[in-house]
Amino acid sequence: MELIVTDKLTKIYNKQIVAVDHIDLDIKEGEIFGLLGPNGAGKTTTIRMLSTLTRPTSGTASVAGYDITRDSRKVRQMIGYSAQAAGLMENATGRENLDLFGRYHHMDGGLLKERIDELLELVNLTEDANRLVKTYSGGMRKRLEIATALVHQPRMLFLDEPTLGLDIQIRVNIWEYVRKLSEAGITILLTTHYLEEADRLSHRVAIIDKGKIIATGSPEELKSAIEGDAVSLRMPSASAEEQAATFQKTEKILSAQPFVKKIMATHDGVNVYVDRADEATPRILRLLEKEGVETASTTVSRPSLDDVFIRYTGRTIAEEAARNNVGKGGK
Amino acid sequence: MDFASDIWYTLVRRFRIGLREPIWIFFSLAQPLIWLLLFTQLFKNLALMPGFPTSEYLLFFAPGLIVMMAVFSSAYTGFDMLQDIQFGVVDKMLITPANRYALIIGNILNALASLTIQILIIFVMVYIMGVSVATGAGGIILTLIVVWLIGLAFCSLSYALIIATRSQTALVVIANLLSLPLMFLSSAMMPAELVPDWVGTAMMFNPVNYAVEAVRPLFVSGYDWSSYGMGLLVLGVFAAVGVVTAVLAFRNFGK
Repeated sequence: MELIVTDKLTKIYNKQIVAVDHIDLDIKEGEIFGLLGPNGAGKTTTIRMLSTLTRPTSGTASVAGYDITRDSRKVRQMIGYSAQAAGLMENATGRENLDLFGRYHHMDGGLLKERIDELLELVNLTEDANRLVKTYSGGMRKRLEIATALVHQPRMLFLDEPTLGLDIQIRVNIWEYVRKLSEAGITILLTTHYLEEADRLSHRVAIIDKGKIIATGSPEELKSAIEGDAVSLRMPSASAEEQAATFQKTEKILSAQPFVKKIMATHDGVNVYVDRADEATPRILRLLEKEGVETASTTVSRPSLDDVFIRYTGRTIAEEAARNNVGKGGK
Repeated sequence: MDFASDIWYTLVRRFRIGLREPIWIFFSLAQPLIWLLLFTQLFKNLALMPGFPTSEYLLFFAPGLIVMMAVFSSAYTGFDMLQDIQFGVVDKMLITPANRYALIIGNILNALASLTIQILIIFVMVYIMGVSVATGAGGIILTLIVVWLIGLAFCSLSYALIIATRSQTALVVIANLLSLPLMFLSSAMMPAELVPDWVGTAMMFNPVNYAVEAVRPLFVSGYDWSSYGMGLLVLGVFAAVGVVTAVLAFRNFGK
């Protein structure tokens, strides 16, 4: 059964900036659904609309059959929202943070206390519950923050970039909690620009770019659609014109070869997609050398979700992240 | 019922957090003390001038100081909310079923509660320095009512400004820019009889001046219902405008 259905959901800011462009999603009850894309792709805006925080410009969406605009009160009772920003009161204790959100959900005092103890246990913060949040580490904050979104036992949890800026060990630790929640039956929509996160956590992924969904499916489906391995050739650094010339030349040489399935330019060279990289790599290098195309290094990779992104957009998510590094926070 | 509970928990949590901010203690104690010491020394001899309403400058200045502190500390309350906005706490509150209006009203009420404590501390301070309020306990209560109206107006406008601009700089600049002229274009420090005509005219358009005029007789001479009534009327309208502005600003938050 679908818990969330969107129909041509669109958000335009200031009548000109199209943040989210006619997206259609269906998220099934019980799954972890990943929304993967670079910064500024429209992930946060999508989550803000679905959680009733921002009103769509056009299109509709529903959570468990309730319309996000018309029945926003009903929707709010069913959802939990974990923000990209810390989302916590620094000068309050962990317990006080949980208590306030419970009160805003109009929970009864006794029941709330039980629920808080249970949640503290779940996120392993029982011992630190009465300390001020400003003394917490990054991982503790995130765990508490996710717990604040769960006080009222929502059916649907939105996680906006749950591990943004966290160390890898902490990230793995947060993933464990997310899986645990999913096993407990909560449906989860998570946004991320970390490929690994989308790949390892999500049952299904939608790849979003410039406000549009460009591909949806399980990570395996998406990757197998790429068909084959990627041989990444890094070229010696050169001017943009020289790079373009090198790419054209490489494309001309390789596209004639039957074993080459697809060729794409990257920021520092070329990706060549083939069935079997181990056999293809020496042949590619030999061909290029004969024609005088220099390569600095090669790497071979099994297809990743980034290759899926590259295939549809011609760019990598990492490049996009670097370009958008001005700190607009994905609004 | 839910509405009242949303207001209550907003008020309580904010108040509790406020108690943990040491800077708050500084504002409540140090600032009025500095003003008191500076101004009573600076303007000491004013009270000797013919036409000055009291023989001690301190007695004249105490009600002015109370109004002044009410304006200053209210004008900066927006800072509380700025942190919540930047930390994403406001977003999270808005997607709970809690009432939007209750959230902003709870914040305003907390600002009033803190303000009340601050003002009571000033009452104690000036009492220790030798000021006794002519109208006693009744006068103190009437003064607090005026302080609450000022607080409602300036806290609300401060919140509205921070919601609209999300900028600490904007709040500091505007609060600084406005609060001093509002004080000097009132009779907080100088009796209206002793200021140039144009200042006297400007005072008539300054709500802060009506607050000072409403409160001062309670300290100096006795109940003056006409100036008090006028003060309530002007400040009541001002407070209503402020609260409506804040509520409207908050209603469109994030949309």
